[in-house]
Amino acid sequence: MRPQAGAPLSRRRFLALSGGGAVAGAAALSGCALQVSSGVSGSGETVTVMVNSGDILPEQVQQAKQALGIKIALVKYDITKLIAMLTSGNPPDLVRGVGAVDLPYFAARDVAEELDPYFARSGVLKLDDLDPVNDLWRFDGRTQGKGPRYGMAKDFSQDSMFWYNTAAFDKGGVDYPPETEPVTYEEWLESAKRLVQRKSGQTTVFGGSFNGLTRSTLLATMTASAGGSLFNDDFSRVDFTTPEARKALAWYIDYCRTKVGPSQIQPDPNGWDGPTYQAGRLGMSNSGYWLGGMIYPDKKLAAVSRLAPAPIFAGGERISACQGGTGLWMPRGAKNKDAAWRVFEWFFGEEPAKARASGGWGIPSLKSLRPLMPAQEDYQKRVLKVQENELKHFSVVSFTPYTRADAIDALFNQIAPAAMNGQISVDTLAGRLNSAINEQMKRGKEQVG
Amino acid sequence: MTVDQISPVADRPGGGRAAPSDAGRASAARRPRVSMTARRHRAFYLFTSPWIIGFLLLTVAPMVYALWLSFTTFDGISPNWKYVGLGNYRELLNDPVTWDALGRAGLFAITSVPLSIIAGLALAVLVNRPVKARGLFRTLLYLPAVVPPVGAGLAFKLLFDPNSGATNGVMTFLGFEAIGWLADPYVRYVLLMTVLWGAGNVMIISLAGLQDVPRELHEAARIDGASAWRTFRSITVPLLSPVLLFQTVTGMIASVQTIMPLLLAPLGDTSGVTTVPQSNYLYMMHVFAQYFALGRYGYASALLWVLFVLILIATGLIFKFTSGVVFYNVDPEAKK
Repeated sequence: MRPQAGAPLSRRRFLALSGGGAVAGAAALSGCALQVSSGVSGSGETVTVMVNSGDILPEQVQQAKQALGIKIALVKYDITKLIAMLTSGNPPDLVRGVGAVDLPYFAARDVAEELDPYFARSGVLKLDDLDPVNDLWRFDGRTQGKGPRYGMAKDFSQDSMFWYNTAAFDKGGVDYPPETEPVTYEEWLESAKRLVQRKSGQTTVFGGSFNGLTRSTLLATMTASAGGSLFNDDFSRVDFTTPEARKALAWYIDYCRTKVGPSQIQPDPNGWDGPTYQAGRLGMSNSGYWLGGMIYPDKKLAAVSRLAPAPIFAGGERISACQGGTGLWMPRGAKNKDAAWRVFEWFFGEEPAKARASGGWGIPSLKSLRPLMPAQEDYQKRVLKVQENELKHFSVVSFTPYTRADAIDALFNQIAPAAMNGQISVDTLAGRLNSAINEQMKRGKEQVG
Repeated sequence: MTVDQISPVADRPGGGRAAPSDAGRASAARRPRVSMTARRHRAFYLFTSPWIIGFLLLTVAPMVYALWLSFTTFDGISPNWKYVGLGNYRELLNDPVTWDALGRAGLFAITSVPLSIIAGLALAVLVNRPVKARGLFRTLLYLPAVVPPVGAGLAFKLLFDPNSGATNGVMTFLGFEAIGWLADPYVRYVLLMTVLWGAGNVMIISLAGLQDVPRELHEAARIDGASAWRTFRSITVPLLSPVLLFQTVTGMIASVQTIMPLLLAPLGDTSGVTTVPQSNYLYMMHVFAQYFALGRYGYASALLWVLFVLILIATGLIFKFTSGVVFYNVDPEAKK
């Protein structure tokens, strides 16, 4: 029966109308969202770039508008938001990513655009000018470091290197690490034990930090340094029980257990090494060249800070990998690819790239920009010499495409504290890690197909 | 439409209104008469519709979506996800981490809810007394509850940092050994202290309840020689029981959903959720880890739906077991 006009609105009818309103509202909201990267905005084009604050500064947005005639719309990087945007078919035009771990994951899921055709016709980003670190942004469907390019690093460091504070070494009566030859991991730990200072159960000075960029990249790199591989041939499984992986795992657990530096069971409230190192409360910091960006403006700190090569395992291979290679990639569903590529060229090869290179916050990812690296002061020259020598040992340590590094780290964080606290052995830990991480990777492999 | 047509007088039986004009009669014939009840209904729905539409869009729709997700292996972007039926729910039943996290969440609720209610009620009783600067005390005690949880979490993290925190600073100054407050087993006590941080909310609601207790009942009890404790136990608490029930239910729901353990964790990012020490790894931490660290949207959605059902059951049980002790101070004749 047709409801009589003017009759009271029944609850059922009202809810039906509300439901209709809600659907219409959702459509309207979706419509709004679709406009985010429509590509056209007033006089120029608009490119949506999802980055962290500081990756592209507001003045650089203005600069891009003047130089390129393209408006950059910045969206704060958030993995949840990115996944929602990718799922809804409405991705940003360019996205921040950590080349070492993010690229295989996204490329294997076919959401990243192959950039080889763009590189081929670029007058700004020439292939022979690309530093080898950019190989982290290549993936052939199975192995990272080979195949088409999907992105590029904005700058990089060899993340197993470490800075040390000579004042802390002098106070502890410990010999400085050599600047051209690496120390062994065992020697590094021994130095850290001698540098750590404790009082009434509190650690007043950490001997050293060694946590890598993520636990997964740290352990993959250390295993490679020991002469093995954390992953099997098709990257579908990890194995912490191989002699090389076990050696890496045992060293890291020993580092945590002895509490010579920040770790999950002895966290640094600052969350990263910078402020602790600056305050003179950290003897050695496992941070690559990029930490110079923080050190150089503080003359006193710069005078006592030196960079040292990545440690090796006794008798092991000398490799010095980049665990980050943070840069940008272009989603396959980007609405405005040509304009996005122009922004890509500008960001990696023009003014922003030059500003980054001279800031000391990383090694430029274009060889032609290396002369811009800071080398005015003696301490900068010294650091640069160590870094240039270390570049000879650069290598790409491939990561699995079947899970995100966050997932491996999350499982490691959950399982490893028992070993760090001495409640389980390293062998038990290795077995538990294999079980949990391989289960996660198996699910990932099923989903990638 | 004329004033006559919309005037309530027109609907009044024998309303004594003047005879309508021909034009008015024709117009009235064309337009259906809107009764007072219909207009009331319309107004009601008009005013509630923003909330109802918001509720449907932002609560019902995500819940239905999460329910659908819970039957899949969806991870956000991978192309080959599939329906697994009740597979996620079966896995959940056999996942010891889930049960441990649920057990801890239950224990936390059982401990924290009474603690916060007792602390809040005690503060309310104190600031309800006629003391000088009462308003100032009320403000000061309520102030922590206004601080956003993220700010409170960070403040607690700095305060209890084992190496540079003020708590250990005082302890070592007094000659005691420093304690690793943010690690097991002590971190659970820090979490409970964060509960007391929010006791101001309970205090404010309890204070409102206390001020609603008729003063003559207290005076009568005093004349009868009842002690302060007896008066509190036999008059104040029964009259406050609906308020206490409300706080028990909302407190229970909030406590099982607390994110405070994450704010106290060494790393506050997505993978950092599993750096939460085991004793603080509550059910919502597990949900968060499954969603954002492991990308298991389907399994995490199943976890959330199970929590939703458990909260419904717990709420029902609280109502059932308190029905005999909650005293609703209403006039039984009022409905007649």
